[in-house]
Amino acid sequence: MTDLLTIAGLRTVFRTHGGEIAAVDGVDLSVPRGRTLGIVGESGCGKSVLSLSVMRLVAHPGRVATGSVTLDGRDLLKLSNADMRDVRGSQVAMIFQEPMTSLNPVHTVGFQITEAMRAHDTHASKAELKNRAIEALKRVRIPAPERRFDEYPHQLSGGMRQRVMIAMALACSPKLLIADEPTTALDVTVQAQILDLLRDLQQETGMSIILITHDLGVVAEMADDVAVMYAGRVVERGAAGAVFADPMHPYTLGLLGSVPRLDEERETLLAIEGSVPPPFALPKGCRFHPRCPFAVDACKSEQPPLRMLADGHQAACIRAPVEAFVA
Amino acid sequence: MLRHALHRLVLAVPVMFGVLLIGFLLMQVVPTDPATVRAGPSATPDVIAEIRADLGLDEPLYVQFSLYVWRLMHGDLGASIINNVPVSQELGATIGPTLELMFASLFWSIPLGILLGTLAGYWRGTLIDRFIMALSVGGVSVPVFFLGLVLIWFVGFQWQWLPFTGRGGPLWTMDGIRSIILPAVTLGGVFVGPVARMTRTAVLDVLSADHVRTARAKGLTETLVVRRHALRNAMVPVITLIGLQIGFLLGGAVVTETVFSWPGVGRLAVGAILSSDFPMAQGTIIVLSMGFIVVNLIVDVLYAALDPRVRAA
Repeated sequence: MTDLLTIAGLRTVFRTHGGEIAAVDGVDLSVPRGRTLGIVGESGCGKSVLSLSVMRLVAHPGRVATGSVTLDGRDLLKLSNADMRDVRGSQVAMIFQEPMTSLNPVHTVGFQITEAMRAHDTHASKAELKNRAIEALKRVRIPAPERRFDEYPHQLSGGMRQRVMIAMALACSPKLLIADEPTTALDVTVQAQILDLLRDLQQETGMSIILITHDLGVVAEMADDVAVMYAGRVVERGAAGAVFADPMHPYTLGLLGSVPRLDEERETLLAIEGSVPPPFALPKGCRFHPRCPFAVDACKSEQPPLRMLADGHQAACIRAPVEAFVA
Repeated sequence: MLRHALHRLVLAVPVMFGVLLIGFLLMQVVPTDPATVRAGPSATPDVIAEIRADLGLDEPLYVQFSLYVWRLMHGDLGASIINNVPVSQELGATIGPTLELMFASLFWSIPLGILLGTLAGYWRGTLIDRFIMALSVGGVSVPVFFLGLVLIWFVGFQWQWLPFTGRGGPLWTMDGIRSIILPAVTLGGVFVGPVARMTRTAVLDVLSADHVRTARAKGLTETLVVRRHALRNAMVPVITLIGLQIGFLLGGAVVTETVFSWPGVGRLAVGAILSSDFPMAQGTIIVLSMGFIVVNLIVDVLYAALDPRVRAA
C-alpha cells in the first residue's frame, strides 16, 4: 500500500520577542491511502499546528521552516500560492474543533457549501451546485436538507453544524480529510454519531483521514495508526492496536494510565506529574525527562530519535520499551 | 425584517418627544426674552408686554409646550420673530442643500474609510498600516473649520480652482458639482479617519475568527476571503459607528455650512441662534434631530440585513 501523504522533517516555527520557537520540531509521519492516522497529545503539543502546516494555513507570525509535505508525489510546501489554493478543499480538506464558530454566521449553510464547490469548479451552474450541496447534506444525514440549505448556522445545533462542516469538507471529494478535534465540543452521544459518520464516509469514498485529538477513546475507535506527540515531536508511532496494547514510550504509558476504564477497579487515575513545557523553555535532552519516572542521566543530555522497536512500532526513548519497569 | 423596522419606528416616537421637550426647555433657559427681541431696542415696556401676551409667553410653561406640540402636529412650526417668515418655509428651502451636502460628503468618505481600514487591517503592522493609521489620526485631529479654511485659502483663493462660497446650483449641474466639492471634502474629511479606524479593528477581529480559517481551508482566494468572510462580518460594527458618527456629521455640517456660506439648515440654525430667533432655532433643532433619528433607523434596518441573528431576535 502506498502512502498518500508523507511528512518529513517538518519544523514549524513562530517568531516571538525572545527569538524563534518551534511548535512542531522535526516530525516524520505518513498516512496510507484509505486509512486513518490518529495524532494524540496534550494541548499545546503542536498537533493543531502540524495540521495547519500541512494545509499551509499557519497564521503569522508562524511559518513552516523546513521539511516536506508530500501528497501524491507533490511537495505541498513547494507549490505556488495559487496551486496550493487548488489543493485546499479539493485534495485536502479540513474540519475544526468548534462547529459553533467555524461557520460564517452571516451566510446561509447552502451558500457556504456551494462556495466550496465553486472554488474548484467554476463551470457548474447555480442549480447544479444547489443540487450537489443538498446531496452533500443528505450524505452527512442531515434531515430535511432542502430546508437546511437556506438556513443560517445559528439555526442549527452543534452536531448539525459539524455535519455541515463535514459536508462542506467533502464537497469536492478530497483524498485527505484532516479532522482537528472534530468531536471535542460536542455531546457524547453526538460525538459517537459524528465518528460513525466519518467512518462510513471513509468507507464510501476511500479517503484518508488524519484525526487529531487528545481523546484516546476516539483514537482507539477510529484510527488504524497512531502517532503520539509531545512538545512538538512524535514520541511514539505504530499501528493503533500495537500502541495501545504495548505502549513503549513512558509518556504513552502515562497517557493510557490516565484513562478511566470500566474493566479495572482503581481508586485514583494515574496522572503524569507536571505539565507540558512551553516551547520557549524546553528542557535539554529528552523533552519528557523532567516528568519521566524512568529517566536516567543520559536522558538529560541527548534528544532520543525514533527507534524501531517492533514491526512498524517506533518510540523515541533510550529506555524503551519501558513496560519491564512497570511490573 | 419589516417587523423589525416597524418596531424601531415606534421606538422613535418617544425619542422625538424627548427632543421636542429638551429643545423647548433649552430655549427657556437662554437669558434672552423673545418679546424684547421682537419689539426691538427702542420699544416701551408696554409694547413688550403686549407682544409677550401675543406670543403666548405669559402662559405657564406646560401650556406653552402643549400649544407648541399641538401646532407642530398640525404642521405649524411658527414664524420667525425677526421677519415673520414661516419657519417651515425656511426649513423647506434649506433642507435640500443640507441633504445634498451630507450625501456628497458620505458618498466618498465612507467607501474610502472602509477601503483604507480594510487595507490597514489586512496588512497589520506593516508600513501601509502605519501610514493609513497616521493619516487617520491626522484626519480625526484636524477641526472641521480649520480644514475648511485651509481648503478655501489654497484651493479656492490662491489657486482659484474651485468656488468656495454658496451653492452654484442643483447637484446635477456642473456649477452645482463644482461648488459642492470643497464643502463635501471638508465635511467628509473628518469622517474618513473614524471609519477607517473602526473598519481596521473590525477586520482584524474577524480575520482571526475561525470561520475565516474555514474559508481559507476551502481554497478560496484571499480576495474572496476578505470580501465575503471578513468585510461582510466586519460591516456590522462599522455601520453602527457610522450611525453614531452621523450625529457629529450634523454638527460638522453646521460649521461647514457657515464656513462655506452653504445655504443649509446648519447655517440657518447658526443665524437663528445668533439673532435669538427662537421659533426658527427650534425648527432647525427638530429637523437635525429627525435626521439623526432617521439615520439610526436606517442603521438598525441595515444591521438586520447584514446579520441574520439580529433578524431572528
